[in-house]
Amino acid sequence: MEAALSSFQSANTQVLGVSVDSVYSHAAWAASLGGVSFPLLADFHPKGALASACGLYLDGAGIGDRATVIIDTDGVVQYVESVGPGGQRDIADLVATCKAVASNGPEFAAPASLPTGSELFVRDNCGASRSALWACENLHVKGQIAIKNVSQDAAAAAELEKISGGKQAPCLVVGGEAMLESAEIVGYLVEKCGRPVG
Amino acid sequence: MIAQGDKAPDFALKDQFGREVKSSDFNGKHNVMLLFYPLDWTPT
Repeated sequence: MEAALSSFQSANTQVLGVSVDSVYSHAAWAASLGGVSFPLLADFHPKGALASACGLYLDGAGIGDRATVIIDTDGVVQYVESVGPGGQRDIADLVATCKAVASNGPEFAAPASLPTGSELFVRDNCGASRSALWACENLHVKGQIAIKNVSQDAAAAAELEKISGGKQAPCLVVGGEAMLESAEIVGYLVEKCGRPVG
Repeated sequence: MIAQGDKAPDFALKDQFGREVKSSDFNGKHNVMLLFYPLDWTPT
């Protein structure tokens, strides 16, 4: 789906994945797939509320169906298909359907890039460091940022202390400024390099 | 199951970056394709 994203954007369509998993699970799983930049929505609490509202929540199993819903710019459903939990979607068919539904809307903005010289300091066995790394993977910015592991690299640890005045990681350094909170780091990365939604 | 011609439900949910994504972000601008899938860590 990530590979077909530009075809859907050309058809004026915002792609949104939805499952009952948490934000944390989505970030980890998406990164393991090589990076998913379109939003994966956490239909997590109350569990399956959006799937239920669409009649696509499988009560017995406690999961959502594998199904596709295409909504037009007036908020009206134009296409619904369930392929069943084990089924497979036909991406080419969906692109064609979205083109047929497409009306004119503003163009999707392209993701921007990080300032040169950006650095991310991380440490081993640290959930916050992992979250920052997943965001880099999902936003496809690993080539634009030097990732330095302070648990494995003494020079990196020394550099971190020099820049931030402490040992705390994760630490994102952009334009000489150090950012230390993982939520702030992920927020900055998605704001700067994510595909804008809406 | 929801059907063609129905009004889509409104939503406001967080994505994998912790960013809130709302149905109203797209009204009047873009079509939306919701890809429901059973669970993370299963074949896509």
